[in-house]
Amino acid sequence: MRVLLVEDERTLASEIRTYLKLEGFVCDHSATFASASENIAVNPYDFILLDLGLPDGEGLDLLYEAKKSQKNVIIIILTARSEISDRVKGLEKGADDYLAKPFSLLELKARMQAIIRRKSGWVKEEISIGNFTLDLGNKTVSFSENHIYLTKKEFTVLHFLLIHKNRVINRFQIAEHLWGDTNEDDYQSNFIDVHIKNIRKKLGEYAAVDWLETIRGIGYKIQA
Amino acid sequence: MILYNLLAKGVILLVFLMSGPFFLKYFAVKNTDNRLLEKREQVLEIIRIQGLENFFLEEDYSSGFGSYNILKEEYILLERIAEPFLVDTIYNEERIIENESVTYRVCSYVFSSKGEYFLLEIGRSLETIKDIEKIIFRILYITFFIFLLLTFFLDTAFGKWLVRPFKQIVENKLLHIKEPQQFQYSPIETSTDEFRLLDVSLSDMMKRIQKAFNQEREFISHASHELKTPLSILQSKVEGFFNQDNLNQDQMEKLIDMQSTVQKMKKMVNSLLLISKVSNAQFLKSDSVVLQNLLLELYEEWKPMADEKNIILLLEKNDHFEFTTNESLCTMMVQNALVNSLKYTPEGGQIKMSGVNSTMGYQITIADNGPGILEDIMDQIKEGTVFLKNASKDKSGFGLQLIYKIGLFLNIKVQIDTKPTGTTVFFNFNKII
Repeated sequence: MRVLLVEDERTLASEIRTYLKLEGFVCDHSATFASASENIAVNPYDFILLDLGLPDGEGLDLLYEAKKSQKNVIIIILTARSEISDRVKGLEKGADDYLAKPFSLLELKARMQAIIRRKSGWVKEEISIGNFTLDLGNKTVSFSENHIYLTKKEFTVLHFLLIHKNRVINRFQIAEHLWGDTNEDDYQSNFIDVHIKNIRKKLGEYAAVDWLETIRGIGYKIQA
Repeated sequence: MILYNLLAKGVILLVFLMSGPFFLKYFAVKNTDNRLLEKREQVLEIIRIQGLENFFLEEDYSSGFGSYNILKEEYILLERIAEPFLVDTIYNEERIIENESVTYRVCSYVFSSKGEYFLLEIGRSLETIKDIEKIIFRILYITFFIFLLLTFFLDTAFGKWLVRPFKQIVENKLLHIKEPQQFQYSPIETSTDEFRLLDVSLSDMMKRIQKAFNQEREFISHASHELKTPLSILQSKVEGFFNQDNLNQDQMEKLIDMQSTVQKMKKMVNSLLLISKVSNAQFLKSDSVVLQNLLLELYEEWKPMADEKNIILLLEKNDHFEFTTNESLCTMMVQNALVNSLKYTPEGGQIKMSGVNSTMGYQITIADNGPGILEDIMDQIKEGTVFLKNASKDKSGFGLQLIYKIGLFLNIKVQIDTKPTGTTVFFNFNKII
């Protein structure tokens, strides 16, 4: 999948590009409005990750331009602006999602995947791990014919770990995905352990869940 | 104002009413005196023209002459006196007539005729005057009360009509304005210069407030950008390192430490910005939220955490109530209270949640039997101090601060009762009629 990253902060752009490349995306970068406009005119993209505050123009205008020339492109606004009007304007002008800085790269990937799923109409998309199946549309987990009850948060944790399988995900990343980043202390990240414990307990009744590894002092990893 | 008017008019009328009888009496007596003098002149004129024969028989003056009219309202008395003395006076005199005491106004006059001296007395009863006095007095009293009553109603109606523009200014431009952008600059219709001036002054003041408000909003937006971009770089770099496959445990732990610090900074900046944005009303309040579901979801989400800490978490009552608000802020507010309870309630403790309908609206209660919140912390939160630090627990007080700020913004009354034996947080949602 081809991604255009429009970001004037070069250090940040470099980190995002490196990450996306590692995740298998082809990533172009534009640091200015003019360069982005040119890239949009020349290349077809699946994703445009758009920073609103560009040195030579307004990112929202670029959004309009992109939607006009590439109807199916998925646009995610990445911005440090905090005004709700920016968010509303962006979504009104056709953006698919809005990610406020500072964001986790894992969160960016999760959002990109969610939009692909939504746009492709995969209501019944399923992910399997071991003999367990996660129905992403209905947010349910099953083992063979058995339905396993997980709470909303437990399902979200399991899904997040599965999106980033074979990678160590620390507690902060999971906590940010679950609760956002406005709570004032790290107390909630302790609750991640409780969720993991419950997931292991509930799934463990049907089959071994040794694919869900604990990385001591760091976080968790799904080995598949 | 109306009361003052009523009181002032009442006092003036009362003075008038009190002094009325004296004036009335004075003029009535004066009028009677004039009538008596006129009658005296008429009698003297008759005597001058016709002599005393009309009063005395055959010039026998010894018996005197006296006459009352039928109702004993007037009388005339003429008698000869032996020694001449000068009398020309009018006075009051009590007379007993048919066992009844009657007060007369009497005009006495001595005159001479044919070498003889005569005393002429013409009397007029004052009872009629007294009766008239009573009637007029009654009329005056009734008029007084009717006047006061009418004045009160007229003053009230006129006062209301007069201050209608003022009421409009207060209602449309002050009371219903919760946020500066809601202010209506269209002038209020009035012909009163003072109200027009007030209206214009308020609009000018609101323009200045709105300018400051917008400047603050821009500042928040810029500050947010300036703070968040470097944090994004830091976070991405740490995550980039973390993604590398060849890290050993020690390196990963060091990266986690770094990430923890970045997270703390990030959360602090976000919380500060959130408080500022909530204070500046930068959120929409158009979500329809079923509070019953909100409570149930929070209960289900946090029940495992409570179980883990061996805390009994109960959802005692959960009535249905729908409220138009900002869903994420509302959830954050209630969740903060619940998480605070979970944080500080000791093992074996209990937390009770409830959502109850009342005549006023709906009340969510979260009550724990934890150690309570320190008094100085509560004071700081209520005063709106942003930087709070509970050194003993190394926690900031943004959570509680947010509860208060969000409550204020969403028009949800927040009340925190805290004692060393426990804390109860009440959220009161008013019914929108």
